[in-house]
Amino acid sequence: MTEKVKVRIDGEVIAATAGQTILEVARANGKYIPALCYMEGLSAVGACRLCMVEVSGVARLLPACTTPVQEGLAVNTSSPQLESYRKIAIELLLVERNHVCAVCVSSGHCELQTLAQDHGVTYVRYPYNFPRLTVDATHPRYVLDHNRCVLCSRCVRTCAEVEGAHVWDMAGRGIQTRLVSELQRPWGESTTCTSCGKCVQACPTGAMAEKGWGVEEMTKKRAVVSRLSSIREGQ
Amino acid sequence: MTAGLVTAPPRSEDRDLIDRIIGEQAGHTGALLGILAKLQDHNRDKYLPMETLEYVAKRTGLPESQVYSVATFFALFNLDPQGKHTVAICRGTACHTRGSRALLERVKLQLGMQETGDGADKVALTTPDRRFTIRTVACFGQCALAPVAEIDHSIRGHVTEQALIREVEGLRRERVR
Repeated sequence: MTEKVKVRIDGEVIAATAGQTILEVARANGKYIPALCYMEGLSAVGACRLCMVEVSGVARLLPACTTPVQEGLAVNTSSPQLESYRKIAIELLLVERNHVCAVCVSSGHCELQTLAQDHGVTYVRYPYNFPRLTVDATHPRYVLDHNRCVLCSRCVRTCAEVEGAHVWDMAGRGIQTRLVSELQRPWGESTTCTSCGKCVQACPTGAMAEKGWGVEEMTKKRAVVSRLSSIREGQ
Repeated sequence: MTAGLVTAPPRSEDRDLIDRIIGEQAGHTGALLGILAKLQDHNRDKYLPMETLEYVAKRTGLPESQVYSVATFFALFNLDPQGKHTVAICRGTACHTRGSRALLERVKLQLGMQETGDGADKVALTTPDRRFTIRTVACFGQCALAPVAEIDHSIRGHVTEQALIREVEGLRRERVR
């Protein structure tokens, strides 16, 4: 099962285990590939398209989070083309909802904001959608703000895979896709939610937050979710 | 769309039907799709009421959110009661260039329908008397016949506003007779 393979990431030969994904191998060896929907301990879905990499011999770009490594694979994690695509992906995430950092509890601790800063997204070239979206504050301890959701589905997977409650899922499709709890019940009236708050910790933006924090005050404990998952795998 | 707050359980004969359909499909992966399709087919108004979704989730053991996700992802499933007659206007690229937007607007006007207002390109509207449902379709695969409309499951090509209105008025008069 644990077949060893040699792969090349940005020219450097790295020993990996067959079955690992490009992203896992890269991160384990200190190589940076941006990603938003990927989270250690959760299944990979390839939703955000930020981890696209160039694989030699393959004409199209491949998502690093869902592509398994194989012997002799040569990956390029950064190039002007990749950089421009990643920038576009971030800009499109920003125009889709109403991301107003100045009034966000997660400002300064937001993965989307950090990615935008790292990739030099100082302005957005596309018109904003400005959708009319709701805020679900029915839960006594947490709040869900659809305006800040990037549909990464980390909360969905955390709830389904780590907590086992599967309160969340994605409803609709395309631009109309929305995060829903159960049969579109308000979060506070959910019958399956255990109020564990792991979805809140997994959320990369301020879409899910604990109540009671002001702007820039909500820091997330993402490692907790990943650690829980790895402890269970070890059993 | 109505939020499924407190939903009454389906009537007992409906429950029996749901149980039977789940029993037929149970076991294999992707069974949910078949279950929902059959249930919608058996429904008088060709839709999936919230209480049905809730009951399906309970009986299959699937999370409610997943059932809802599947029911809202596929255009096949309706969460609102459908009209007796369905007029589907193709909004694919070929039909769009041949004036399908005008057809859609015309038929909406003819049936006295309000704009949805949310600017959505997808439309699924039912008249208050539940006689007609108007919906848009991405493509029928009959682009050579553009613009295409489907009236009660029969596809018409090279549709003009006059022809479409004639058909719709014909269906409307059926009731009077």
